[in-house]
Amino acid sequence: MQKKILVVEDDKNQILLYQHELTLEGYNVITAKDGSEAVKMVKERSPDLVMMDINMPKMNGIEAMGKILGEQRKIPIIINTAYSCYKDNFMSWSADAYIIKSSDLTELKAKIKELLAKNG
Amino acid sequence: MLPHIIKDKVDEILRCIITSLNAGLSVVDKNLNIIWTNENLPRMLYLKYNPVGKKCYEVYGCECKCVSDCSSIGSLPSDNRRVSDIQFITEKGSRKFIKNISIPVRDEKGVVMYFLKLSIDVSEREEKISQLSLLRKFADMMQGTLHIDRLLHLILTCVTAGTALGFNRARLFLVDMERHVVYGKMAVGPSSYEEAVKVWSEITSKYESLEDLINACEDKYQEDSPLHVITRLMVYSLANESEPIVSCIKSKKIIWGKNAFHDPTISKNFVNMLGADEFVCVPLIARGEVIGVICVDNLYSKKIITEEQVQMLVTVASRAALAIENAEAYKKLEEKINQLEEAQERLISSERLAVIGNMAAYIAHEIRNPLVTIGGFARNILRAPNQDAYVRQGAEIIVEEVNRLEKILANITDFGKPLIPAKDVFQVNDLLENTCSLMEPYFKNNNIRLVRKFNTSMPSVMMDATQIKQVFVNLMKNAVEAMMNGGLLTVETTVENKCVKVDVTDTGKGMSVETIQRIFDPFFTTKEDGTGIGLAVSKKIVDEHRGSIVVKSSGQSGTTFSVYLPIKTE
Repeated sequence: MQKKILVVEDDKNQILLYQHELTLEGYNVITAKDGSEAVKMVKERSPDLVMMDINMPKMNGIEAMGKILGEQRKIPIIINTAYSCYKDNFMSWSADAYIIKSSDLTELKAKIKELLAKNG
Repeated sequence: MLPHIIKDKVDEILRCIITSLNAGLSVVDKNLNIIWTNENLPRMLYLKYNPVGKKCYEVYGCECKCVSDCSSIGSLPSDNRRVSDIQFITEKGSRKFIKNISIPVRDEKGVVMYFLKLSIDVSEREEKISQLSLLRKFADMMQGTLHIDRLLHLILTCVTAGTALGFNRARLFLVDMERHVVYGKMAVGPSSYEEAVKVWSEITSKYESLEDLINACEDKYQEDSPLHVITRLMVYSLANESEPIVSCIKSKKIIWGKNAFHDPTISKNFVNMLGADEFVCVPLIARGEVIGVICVDNLYSKKIITEEQVQMLVTVASRAALAIENAEAYKKLEEKINQLEEAQERLISSERLAVIGNMAAYIAHEIRNPLVTIGGFARNILRAPNQDAYVRQGAEIIVEEVNRLEKILANITDFGKPLIPAKDVFQVNDLLENTCSLMEPYFKNNNIRLVRKFNTSMPSVMMDATQIKQVFVNLMKNAVEAMMNGGLLTVETTVENKCVKVDVTDTGKGMSVETIQRIFDPFFTTKEDGTGIGLAVSKKIVDEHRGSIVVKSSGQSGTTFSVYLPIKTE
């Protein structure tokens, strides 16, 4: 069955990029532009994995992640951010991976594949 | 006018006055011949002959040699008394001060026929004035000296100066409570009789006052005289009260050794080291605590030490002790101030780095996002088939530049990260050997000859081996990059100032003074493709290890980077 990925990102150009690239990988990609929309989307659309940016308006990625994990069954979450300084902390947020944004999406794609395979 | 009752007894009264008077009396005629003296005068002037019949100036040692010069004769035309002072040194070496009062004696017609010379011994008073003056001078000089070694040398010079206390030799011992010993710190004085004669005559001819001598000796505290070297070998445990120095400290009293070579109660060890038969040890007491001892002797002149000299030495020692304590407190204060200044510099430097780190994180975040989009779509274009060649080429270039920018961002954010070393005990030589072996191919490719000069007995260091290895790699890479046409790279290890020191030296073109001043600044680089981060990170790592990194360059040929890492303490 086609896996569903929720991409949470406030930058519209990056949304386009991830949507295009991940669709090519065979995923069903849904998007949210801030943390509060992400929480709503998880409830309504039950994605198999969430790719979360940190720095967003209305609700940031950390807060959104807390709400998602608090209300839902454990869902794999990849933090995908331009910040490198929180790399040592991500485990304490119960995220499953921390990817520093890069134009080369190889690492991101590999991590998505790995986590989806783990969760079955 | 005398009362009637004693007019008949005048002769007898005069006789009583003359015999009981504790002064010298003489009668001198107009030609300066002494025609009479009392018994006191020859004794007072230490004369070995009868002065009657001699010329006044011969007996009193006046400067005048004829009637017209004589100040006493000058009193004759009037009734004014004239006072003159004389001083001389006795055979035993004591200085005597005599005050002479000349009073005219007239006949019935009022013509001055003779003058009466009254001589009073004011030596004791003059000695006290001289001592007080010396102590004041001494106190002033000591107050102006806070450098501890200079001060100690000043004290010992004053104790041995002929114009001051005048002992032949003086040694200063200090108490070390941490090691529980008293040790010889400094000594002043000749090492042989020949040297003594030479030095004393030189001092007498060259220096008129104590101040002149002190000024001339200002930097002599740095010289290692034989006496000074021997004194520094004299170390005694504070538990060993059989040693005079220790006994002086424990009892807080003067130890005066007379006939020391034959006195069984005085330690032979001490006497042999001292080499003198008579010595005096005086404690240096500051605020009730004994901080040291001054030990003096007259080995070469063989002059017997007098009670007055010892009392003077005790007074000098009490002032010296306070001055030494002040100087040591000043030294500790100076050290603390230096430590505080260094800590402040480190704090300012780390604050600056923190600001830079924050700025770097912000810039990285702001730049990274657009880069992701640009690079991502460029790669997209590259993957899509049937694209126009020009568009394709453009996309390739965009991807290349984005890769480069992402690398720069990674370097900048690395620099901003806090570096908390995970330390363990390591041998620097082992780490260096490992680093050199790793970089052998790199050296070979760049035509660099590596020379290892590793000191075989190196103490251990507490360090984060990964971080310190990074420092060595940075330094060696910089050295290779400085030798573009090949050269010699020397890596040397030594121990210096309780640190392990690693020198990395190249034979490149060297650095200018301006470059040396900025070489550790973040983002400063002299290389076209340099990031300016490598040395800044290296310095940060070494600072976190409480070490230091310095650079020396001749500007013409070669540069040496020296890394100091503190030795592991138990």
